[in-house]
Amino acid sequence: MLPDERHYNRNKLNLIFSISSILLLLSLGWLFLSDYVRQWKHHQTEFRTLEIAKTKAKYEEAHRALESQEAYQALLKEIKEARKDYEASRSGLEDLKKEIVHLRAKRDLTEQELKFAKSELDAARYRYESAKAQPSESLEEAKADFLKYDKKVKDLQLVVEESNQKLKDKVAIIDRSSESLRNLERDLHQMTSQKDVLERKLKIIDPSAMSLATRIADKVRDLPLIDFANPNVKIQQIVLRDLTDNVNFMQVPKVDRCITCHQGITNPEYKDAPQPYRTHPNLELYLGKNSPHPLEELGCTVCHGGRGRGTDFTSAAHTPSEEKQKEEWKRKYQWTRMELWDEPMLPLQYAQAGCFKCHGNQVTLQGAEKLNLGIHLVEKAGCFNCHLIKQYEDWPRSGPSLRKLDSKLTKDWAYRWIENPRSFRHNTWMPTFFNQSNNGDPESKKRTQQEILAMVHYLVSASEPFEMKPLPASGNAERGKELVSSVGCLACHQIQRVEDNQATTRDILRRQHGPNLIGLGSKTTKEWLYNWLKDPARYHAQTRMPNLRLTDQEAADIAAYLASDRNDDFDKKVVPEVNEQAIDEILLGFLTKMETHTAAKQKVTSMDLNQKLNFAGERLISHYGCYACHDIKGFEHANPVGTELTEEGSKSVHKLDFGLTHLDHTNFAWFEQKLRNPRIFDEGKVKVPDEKLKMPNFYFSEEENDALVTALMGFVDGASVERRKMPRTTRNLHLEAGQKVVHLYNCQACHVIEGEGGTIRESIQEWLVKYDNRSESEADALVTSFSPPNLIGEGKKVHTEWLYHFLEHPTTIRPWLKVRMPSFNFNATRLNALVKYFNELDNEEFPFTERVDTTLTEEEHKAALKLFSKEYFDCAQCHIVGNKMPPGSPDRWAPNFALAKERLKPQWIMEWLKNPAALLPGTKMPTYFDPATFEDSGPSDILEGNEHEQIRVLRNYLLSLSAENETKPMILPSE
Amino acid sequence: MEAFKDFVNHVTRPRVLFPLLLVFTVLMFPPNEILFKINKKLRLYKLWTRMGGIIFFSLMIAFFAFGLTDPNFKKIVTKPDNVPIVGLLFLVNFFLWVSMKQAYENDARMDEGKESSEAGDAKEKVLVWPDLVYIEFISLILCTILLMVWSILLKAPLEEPANPTVSPNPSKAPWYFLGLQEMLVYFDPWLAGVVFPTVIILGLMAIPYLDSNKKGRGYYSFKERKMAISIFVTLWLLFWIFLITVGTFLRGPNWNFFGPFEYWDVNKLEVLTNVNLSEYFYMIWFKRQVPQNIILRELPGFFLMVSYFGILPPLLAKTLFRNIFKNLGAFRYSVFVVLLLIAASLPMKMFLRWAFNIKYIIAIPEFFFNI
Repeated sequence: MLPDERHYNRNKLNLIFSISSILLLLSLGWLFLSDYVRQWKHHQTEFRTLEIAKTKAKYEEAHRALESQEAYQALLKEIKEARKDYEASRSGLEDLKKEIVHLRAKRDLTEQELKFAKSELDAARYRYESAKAQPSESLEEAKADFLKYDKKVKDLQLVVEESNQKLKDKVAIIDRSSESLRNLERDLHQMTSQKDVLERKLKIIDPSAMSLATRIADKVRDLPLIDFANPNVKIQQIVLRDLTDNVNFMQVPKVDRCITCHQGITNPEYKDAPQPYRTHPNLELYLGKNSPHPLEELGCTVCHGGRGRGTDFTSAAHTPSEEKQKEEWKRKYQWTRMELWDEPMLPLQYAQAGCFKCHGNQVTLQGAEKLNLGIHLVEKAGCFNCHLIKQYEDWPRSGPSLRKLDSKLTKDWAYRWIENPRSFRHNTWMPTFFNQSNNGDPESKKRTQQEILAMVHYLVSASEPFEMKPLPASGNAERGKELVSSVGCLACHQIQRVEDNQATTRDILRRQHGPNLIGLGSKTTKEWLYNWLKDPARYHAQTRMPNLRLTDQEAADIAAYLASDRNDDFDKKVVPEVNEQAIDEILLGFLTKMETHTAAKQKVTSMDLNQKLNFAGERLISHYGCYACHDIKGFEHANPVGTELTEEGSKSVHKLDFGLTHLDHTNFAWFEQKLRNPRIFDEGKVKVPDEKLKMPNFYFSEEENDALVTALMGFVDGASVERRKMPRTTRNLHLEAGQKVVHLYNCQACHVIEGEGGTIRESIQEWLVKYDNRSESEADALVTSFSPPNLIGEGKKVHTEWLYHFLEHPTTIRPWLKVRMPSFNFNATRLNALVKYFNELDNEEFPFTERVDTTLTEEEHKAALKLFSKEYFDCAQCHIVGNKMPPGSPDRWAPNFALAKERLKPQWIMEWLKNPAALLPGTKMPTYFDPATFEDSGPSDILEGNEHEQIRVLRNYLLSLSAENETKPMILPSE
Repeated sequence: MEAFKDFVNHVTRPRVLFPLLLVFTVLMFPPNEILFKINKKLRLYKLWTRMGGIIFFSLMIAFFAFGLTDPNFKKIVTKPDNVPIVGLLFLVNFFLWVSMKQAYENDARMDEGKESSEAGDAKEKVLVWPDLVYIEFISLILCTILLMVWSILLKAPLEEPANPTVSPNPSKAPWYFLGLQEMLVYFDPWLAGVVFPTVIILGLMAIPYLDSNKKGRGYYSFKERKMAISIFVTLWLLFWIFLITVGTFLRGPNWNFFGPFEYWDVNKLEVLTNVNLSEYFYMIWFKRQVPQNIILRELPGFFLMVSYFGILPPLLAKTLFRNIFKNLGAFRYSVFVVLLLIAASLPMKMFLRWAFNIKYIIAIPEFFFNI
């Protein structure tokens, strides 16, 4: 081809071509590089360096330890000697060895021959069998063939056996000569096994310990393109078939690749390693093979959230827990928020929210303190009153009934209270609706003042009459004060200002179960208090305030004491006058929504002020949702005002209205702000009064806020963990139901149940010092004796039926206690729930238990009496027997034996007598049978020193005691 | 700077920008002699010179460079979904400029009595191998490089798992349908989504039968086919490229309009005060109740539609399109003029909306028939 036929300049085209080819090559290289260089690869390499350093250090330590061991050195020497001996003896065995080689070759040959013969036999058998099935002329021939091979195989088998035996004998001779050496070597191996393991590991991971070939292979397997086969550095993942990611249209099995970077997560050796290699902080509970949450079965994201499939820092949907960390991550990992994943990782401070997904039905969850506090706060603040939360559907309203309000309060008090509850009671749980960021301006205040007046008017005029009994005598406030601190009021109530800077704990919440009783003189009258104390249920049928069975005088004393405290600042607060014009405006606002403006106006003019206030009050109560927490006449069937929270944690962020705020668009940021200031999202908005946000302010502290957000984040749709949830067994259901009642009635304020509670002790200690004239140290020692009993093992201890009746109508078991078990007015459902709960806690049979024969022969009875007597155990020294009180001081007293038959389970008495401290750590009951030397612990002169028998007869004797015949037990004639 | 941004935000509102661009495009590509003369007088054709091109593209680049300093502008323009549309803006303008520059040069040559520059090319023969294949191969390599580097630098714009209860806001069609989606603001779905696309395809198919001009084939020329180029470029640039650009960069949450420097605020609300023609006619002009009878009610709309498609074509045939009517004959003329009127109905409806808040000219929601 001639150059002048070319249209383009060839050199120029060549140049362009070469440049673009080079560019293509470069960009291809770039393509590979950008695909090859991944963050996680870097992490794995770094982890390997860490691992090598750790293993090396351990290896060296093991090595040093070994070297310094005398036994090791001696063994080495011994082996050296033995080897020398062996070498010396070897020369004599050369011939034998040659012979063995020869024998082995011969044996192998015969073995092969045998194998072939067997194969021939199989073929011959088939021919023979088929000839038999279809008779033919070749039958005889086939049979002969078969028999021939059969014989051949048998012969050959003999030959092989023989040569094997021969070989074995010869080898044994050789083995015998090296036996001592081998034994020594085995010992050495045992001694160095730890070091050897480390050494082998190093050979696998440490390039400097590898052979050259391995080292090259080690590098090559990670090269680009080749690394598809079996690289060192690779994605590691856990596939979880029964846990899923919800991608809206389907549930996809979870695949967690977190361990690709978090390499040391299950290895306790990396406790102090830098992230991402650090060990999980609690391997006993999480990830460990024997923990309840093994890594292989549950992975990571099911608890922590995040995108398990993500393999870089951002795409794994990590979430920083604070601003500082966010900045650090941005700098270090170019982190951005992964907005495209619906379930990002829970920030560390809310990590416990992840527990709730599976353990949502458990009322308390050991180890998840923040979540427990959050749940307790949800119960205490009564979130479920306004917001439907399925778990709390059957819970009673949190606030007191306002049905008979008129008998208790004045209108002025109610106004001042609603306007600012905290001005009366600084730590009240009644939230504040008014003077908030969206209705605190003077213009709104003018309106809200009238709103409150209208609501108060409605409440008072809708109030039902309450027949009050007159005070029997004027109470003595001093005595009242003493009673309050001794009978148990302080388990649920406080009567003092409490420091605000105290960190909220569940114990504090238990002590604040009922309202703080300060300033009651400003609130109500002595008469009302007297009537309330005598029978709370008469005023409010559903109240959780129990009846302490106070005498008239006691009730009058306490009423006098409580009414003596007044809140003067509160009393001085000015209550504005009703402004009819403003009420009209409020009314019109409601009415014009239903009818025309003219009709509404007409209606307003046709009403008198009383009607207006009532109408407006009712509408406003409905608007603010007061009826959600309080029982109010006319609102028996109203629906709660708030949004449902059952699955709030999995609500899409798109559905949360951030208003004009510039918050991070995450659900937890929204919850935090909402709880901190429920009206925040109205900021900057122009709204008419009844469109404004109306969630009231609870003034949660920061840690309360944190705990509540944790709980809220935990309220999620659990479909993805359905198969992993806490199983709904009967036992679990019973436990849950019982725990609910325990929470609802604050049982743990007085009793220790499931290792928690008993917060009343503090006030009992105070009482001991103040009223019982004990010193601080004495009170410390005695407080257990004067506190309500620890209920550990209660199910095992008492009869089901007795427990049921006791809870229904408590009777005195420990007469020395000032504090009383109150009558709770439980219904049968709750009673049963509690009874089942205690039985299930101790894995007891329910409801019926095995009958135990408690009869005694005369001889046994004598023995029992002996054991019971002063000379031996001297039971009556502390225990009440019938009406006979023990001689010592009341703090040493113990329950009445007369109750034993009805109350105690026979099996429990046996165990109790055997070792009381094992059942109730710290009990006053002495241990008569030392568990360490049980067989020799009892008195040897009774029942031939048989401790089991001694315990049994004593038990049977105790069960025969009752109030009537304390000394005449049922005795069988001796045989 | 802020003042400039505000100005741009203001000017880019469709009701300002679209009329401006329409006038500008018609002047840049004048369909007849009168407009051509105005073009000459204003020296607009200077854009189709090397200098004009350099100035135009420098301004365009300068605008984008300046815009990238603004966080709102940057966020939208650099979104991986939107980057190709930025490329499209530059490419479309560039190729338009190249062809128009060539066309004006050829026109000048032909005015001097010379042949067009492409005429020479047609006579010359070039070997497929190596001349053609070689440059094709080089182009292939360059395109591969472009795609590779692009895929490395910009991540694929994947979104969260689809959720039936959460629609993305704004919900946008794929880029090539954004023109149609923009039309939905002004027309009912059956028109914007069914009739218009069909008419566009039919119209493109009809072009060879309607265009009887034998000149200007195989070489660039503007003078010889002013009308054809003007109509095509106006429809292509304004009704397609411009609407895609608006849909990509200027339509934010709730399909509200946002200037290029404006923050996409979900809470923004626009005034909704549109009325139907019948309401205009009866309620506003005659202060009477709108009739119950559908036909009576929509009479003004029917009248308008009938006169638009029935009376306007013959009228145009007698006046403005006298030559065209003569060249094409009655049938081809009517196809041409109906297609043109349908195309023109889009800007007209837009103008009616912007100027008079007209929602529908004929509104029969009873039968889902709204125009």
